[in-house]
Amino acid sequence: MLLSPVISEIEERFPDAVLSAELRFGDPWVFVKKQHLPGLLFFLRSAPTLRYDLLFDVTCIDYLPQLPRFVVLYHLVSTSNGSKLMLAVPVAEEDPVLPTATEVFRTADWLEREIYDQFGITFTGHKDLRRILNPDHWTVHPLRRDFPLGGEDVAFTHNQDTLRLQADTWTEPQREMNVQDYLGLTGEAKEGTMIINIGPQHPSTHGVLRVALQIEGETVLRAVPHIGYLHTGIEKSAEHLIYQQAVTVTDRLDYLAPLSNNLGYALAVEQLLQLDIPLRAQYVRVILAELTRIASHLVWLGTHAFELGAFSVIQYAFREREIILDIFEELSGVRMMTSFINIGGIRTDLTPEFGTRVRGFLALFPEKLAEYENMLTDNKIWIERTRGIGRISAEEALNLGVTGPVLRSTGVKFDVRRTFPYSGYERFEFDVPTGTSGDVYDRYLLRIEEMRQSLRIIEQALEGLPSGPFRTDNRKVTLPPREEMEAVMEQLIHHFLLVSRGFPVPEGEACSLVESPRGALGFLVSSDGSPRPRRMRVRAPSFVNLQALETMCKGGLVADVISIIAGLDPLMGEVDR
Amino acid sequence: MFAQGSSEHDALRHHVMFGKLDEAVGWARKLSIWPFTFGLACCSIEMMSIVMPRYDLARFGGEVFRSSPRQADLMIVAGRLCQKMVPVIKRLHDQMPEPKWVISMGACASSGGVFNNYAVVQGVDRVIPVDVYVPGCPPSPDALFHGILKLQEKIAKSPMRG
Repeated sequence: MLLSPVISEIEERFPDAVLSAELRFGDPWVFVKKQHLPGLLFFLRSAPTLRYDLLFDVTCIDYLPQLPRFVVLYHLVSTSNGSKLMLAVPVAEEDPVLPTATEVFRTADWLEREIYDQFGITFTGHKDLRRILNPDHWTVHPLRRDFPLGGEDVAFTHNQDTLRLQADTWTEPQREMNVQDYLGLTGEAKEGTMIINIGPQHPSTHGVLRVALQIEGETVLRAVPHIGYLHTGIEKSAEHLIYQQAVTVTDRLDYLAPLSNNLGYALAVEQLLQLDIPLRAQYVRVILAELTRIASHLVWLGTHAFELGAFSVIQYAFREREIILDIFEELSGVRMMTSFINIGGIRTDLTPEFGTRVRGFLALFPEKLAEYENMLTDNKIWIERTRGIGRISAEEALNLGVTGPVLRSTGVKFDVRRTFPYSGYERFEFDVPTGTSGDVYDRYLLRIEEMRQSLRIIEQALEGLPSGPFRTDNRKVTLPPREEMEAVMEQLIHHFLLVSRGFPVPEGEACSLVESPRGALGFLVSSDGSPRPRRMRVRAPSFVNLQALETMCKGGLVADVISIIAGLDPLMGEVDR
Repeated sequence: MFAQGSSEHDALRHHVMFGKLDEAVGWARKLSIWPFTFGLACCSIEMMSIVMPRYDLARFGGEVFRSSPRQADLMIVAGRLCQKMVPVIKRLHDQMPEPKWVISMGACASSGGVFNNYAVVQGVDRVIPVDVYVPGCPPSPDALFHGILKLQEKIAKSPMRG
């Protein structure tokens, strides 16, 4: 049976590489042997009929107690013909070694380091296989299924004394640190160069990012980002929560766009459950996701301008952001972490005032956008500090796995909303703006234009907002309405089970892609049939985009590094997870 | 010293105030807090909001956010403290000159929040002393205001030399 043309092409070219192949939720999954991996990846990237030019994600699932224990997944996306492919490589626990993919896709660098850090799988040929998220001196691999969640017990009367004692004697491990090792630039000290350290506490690194710079005079030779200072173990935490609860931890990934994360996670789980989401919920999701995009871009705009010395823009941008937060607060009771999009739809129906408030914002915002543009677009200082800075070519960007506005600024028209529409985005008319030169100034213009397009989408969604239910009526997933619960015993039982135990999700893996303000955000959820996920993988766009920092900074000046970081708009919550 | 009804006596009555030096210094200190720009996670966005026009911390004296610990006297720990960050936060706290205060902003900084796991320190008070805890996830800017006002009360009452 012909599953997909790509599978037959792979089988034809690498006859003894394929173990098995199947379609999962419309995407081909090909299980291959590991020794063929680099060749296979190269073939998939370069074959003119396939052109999988973006290695979207590399991740690992621990199937303990099944054998082979690990499966490493290579998620490939073609930006030109809009197809996806999952290469899965089984890895045994006794021999956790894989050939590296960094020779083919440079983006694999950090992704493989993360797998090494979290699962203990090594990649031969990787030039810099160090820990990335966890502290360097750790010897454990936290995302393995047999590694405990960690943390502390809740204090009750019977155990509070022991817990207090533990807390009082808590000390963090001490170790000797060599400055050069610490900066990660060992062996490259050159006459006349200097190493300077930026962060993790720095006013313009957007949180706790740390960058080690090697400079010669004012010129940057190397810029090595060090991350993990905000590693929260969100992926591990999600494995210990029931599906509906795990929505709340996704909020805290990209805390400027929590609703995009909710949406990505909900879409992945809904695929596994094969739920149909009512049209009304889909429209509301789109409205909320676009409002979030504007709110997030406003913080980017404000901080970017602030870091380059323009203080008024941040005051203006936060003024408008408050309007959006007010809309969220009125809707959900919370300003930022709304968890409003959940599995099966949205949490509650819209409030009567929602439409009026959003329309008010739509009417107000275009003139405010013009105000920002007045302050910046033709501003000489702004142009000097952004135009021609942080250039990257389209090929380099794709090779590094960069997505979102940064990729589009190089001219590649890849927007998940257009290429792989979700939640009804195919119903709306909007443009995908692209840049030409791939510099920071282009990224600025592009994000401003994206906000305009978001307004267009919100307007259409609000006009066409259908009536009807706001969440699925599948009672295995969603809570029964109050009236039924009070009248029918079975509904009460459903309610009790859903709240206390959660709902089981059929075994399998599903992945979703959404366009978050920072780029293509992917969620991979693996279920073992229980009410808690076996694995929740977050493919964070900031994490992957940040790898491009060195390419962008090389040859530039130290002062440009700040402008480039701001133009990348990384969010450490999402980078470190 | 001066005769009652004389102009000097009058001037003294209107322009000289007696009080404890501790109180005078406390009053001055509480209205000129210099917070440290130290955002860790989600809460830092709300921390930024308090200096923005809508909330405007400047009304209570305290809008001068400094990026160097050596110029700051209030550390607002805004967000979850992770294991890898522990040595950094300790060093930053040590670098702040006395007298200094710490606000633990949000559930994660106060107790680890929803992240009771291997990566997150269960409360920043394990590492540095905390003066005021502000609950919330994240606390709204109003809640942080309340925390800062409470801290001001504490500062006003504390002796000049700690």
